[in-house]
Amino acid sequence: MNKVLKNVIAGALSASMLFSMAGCSNSGSDTTSGAQSGDQQVTLKLWHIWAADSESSKVPFLKTLDNFQKEHPNIKLDVDATENETFKTKIRTAVAANEAPDIFTYWAGGYMKNFVTAGKLLALDDYLNDGTKDKLLDGTLDNMTFDGKVYGLPHTMDVGTFFVNQELFDKYNIKVPTTYDELVDACKKFRAAGVKTPMAVGGKEAWCIDMYLDILQVRSAGYEACINALSGKGSYEDAGIIDGAKRLQELVKLGAFGDSPMSISRDESEVPFYNGEVPMYFNGSWTIGNVNKSKVKDKIKIVPFPKVGDKSDSTDLTGGVAGTFVVSANTQYKDQAVTCLKYIAQGFAKEAFEAGVSLPAWKLDIDESKVDTLTKQLMDLTNSAKTYTLWWNTYLDGSKSELYMNKSSELFALKITPEQYAKDLQTMNS
Amino acid sequence: MNKVLSNKKAIVFFMLPAVLFFLLVILMPVLMSFYYSTLNWDGMGSGTFIGFQNYKKLFVGNVDNFPLSVRNSFLFLLASVFIQIPISLLLAIILSNGVKGENFFRNVYFVPVVLSTVVIGQLWMKIYHPDYGLLNTFLRSIGLSSWAHGWLGDQNTALIATFIPTLWQYTGYHMLLLYAAIKSINPEIFEAAKIDGANRTKIAFRVTIPMILPMLEVSLIFSVIGSLKVFDLVYVLTNGGPAQASEVPSTLMVRTIFMGYQYGYGSAMAVFIIAECVLFTFVVRKIFRALQRD
Repeated sequence: MNKVLKNVIAGALSASMLFSMAGCSNSGSDTTSGAQSGDQQVTLKLWHIWAADSESSKVPFLKTLDNFQKEHPNIKLDVDATENETFKTKIRTAVAANEAPDIFTYWAGGYMKNFVTAGKLLALDDYLNDGTKDKLLDGTLDNMTFDGKVYGLPHTMDVGTFFVNQELFDKYNIKVPTTYDELVDACKKFRAAGVKTPMAVGGKEAWCIDMYLDILQVRSAGYEACINALSGKGSYEDAGIIDGAKRLQELVKLGAFGDSPMSISRDESEVPFYNGEVPMYFNGSWTIGNVNKSKVKDKIKIVPFPKVGDKSDSTDLTGGVAGTFVVSANTQYKDQAVTCLKYIAQGFAKEAFEAGVSLPAWKLDIDESKVDTLTKQLMDLTNSAKTYTLWWNTYLDGSKSELYMNKSSELFALKITPEQYAKDLQTMNS
Repeated sequence: MNKVLSNKKAIVFFMLPAVLFFLLVILMPVLMSFYYSTLNWDGMGSGTFIGFQNYKKLFVGNVDNFPLSVRNSFLFLLASVFIQIPISLLLAIILSNGVKGENFFRNVYFVPVVLSTVVIGQLWMKIYHPDYGLLNTFLRSIGLSSWAHGWLGDQNTALIATFIPTLWQYTGYHMLLLYAAIKSINPEIFEAAKIDGANRTKIAFRVTIPMILPMLEVSLIFSVIGSLKVFDLVYVLTNGGPAQASEVPSTLMVRTIFMGYQYGYGSAMAVFIIAECVLFTFVVRKIFRALQRD
């Protein structure tokens, strides 16, 4: 080969290997300016995350949109659905480029904070004094309020829920645990009896590990200590938080999560649970929808997560109001967008609840006969709840949330000690 | 023709479209990334200029294990250069020596290159699955059930378990490059070597390899750069887990930017990866220049 040519080719090829670019296209939004009046025909863009048929919220949400269209013929909705993880990237790109849809679903807490500080969301306070605020359950606006202003409306509540398979407990003659020591004991007995996985966790996905870690930390340290650490007022190096982390490692060491929990995804970890091979599972209340579709439907019970010390009991839950609908600050039609927002937030809460998908964040007239058994059991828990600690990875924003998920994975993998874990988390507050 | 080539203006004129295109789609983004990397920016609004703070953060007082991810990509590089390329070379030499079913084997080795990475990822995930995976099933069947475990979920094996599919995926690709190079050598040279009494090994080392050095260089550059910026398979198989045991710079970068919203810091990672690739390309070419002089 000719030497010059060869060099050129090698150079060009290596250059082209170096830089691979991802192009991103955005569809221009057609904006028609005009005077705002209540009865003009307008089109609003709405983006949401319930795209796949496996999303139990999809049907109730689409029903809500249909109802809205019937009642408000003047407001046409241009709807677009994107799968959850993809949506996170897509919406940020759109919002950063000021191409955001008028209304979209988002997450409260740290996720929202980012948009609020950049001035990308519409403050809703002026629109909520028409009785809307009174229809909301107490405290549901907390995670959407920044500097005293409300930036979103909640729809449903999701709670960390402890599912136990009563049939398996009966079969091996083991008591359903109410304290941490009983939980350890139950796990040991199940393992001894040949049950490979006493508690399901999809350890490949950090948030599934966090489900267990969040509740253990709340149980050990109490609500106050956790919220103080998260908000930066306190410290992660709190004895209770370290103790919670220690207990998670203890459970890992005795095989409570099976032999290789970190190699399976959430979906893979749930399959044996729905097949009745796993006695315990702690995950979000949305799991109820899938349990009701599975063959173990009648064997599963919801019980409070076991007590650890005196700092917390069954009235302290994790989760709460994490999902929200928001209006873009750049919308052309503020009034219509807010009208739509109020309607779908309430409407979706009702439809989702009646479909047994999740609990509402709104005061609804509930027809008890329509509610399934598991949701009833969950409501018994939430009715007596005193505190909700939002999932830590939702409460924290961006890079902090990433740090928490990294550190919780390292803790779960026994790579770092509980003390080191707390110290690493504390770097967020320094 | 010569008239045109001696006219500098004409050269510039004819080169211009390609050069402009190159600058626009390759150099611009790189420079933009470099600019972003000097900002503290969350992707919203405007960032604040902080100079080289982001680069410092990569290595000094680092909390996201970036140095570990760089180490992992170097291990990847070593595996590519010292395991993958020799295997490809061996296969290419054997195939070009005219074995039976040459075409068949050539195509079979090339299949993984054509498959989509996500498909390969899913395939190997099924092989590695702790319960019903091919690998564990095989180990149990030959009485080594103590060896069976979650390959991708164990910190000690996750990295190696992600190496193997990646190496396997591109072995056929490098083999084909080298095979084509060997095939283009004038057969008379081999005949002359045979007449002079060289055996197969000698021919391979004294004739074939020296003759295909240029292609070997291209192959090595591909494989070095590929392993420094490896992303897709790692992302599909482990996404850098468990607990960052199989983290490589590009997976960490994607998470930092799109999940952690640190656009400035993530761009610093991107620039670091680019700089690494340029440096290594340069080194490989230097080495080969020295080799060819001998």
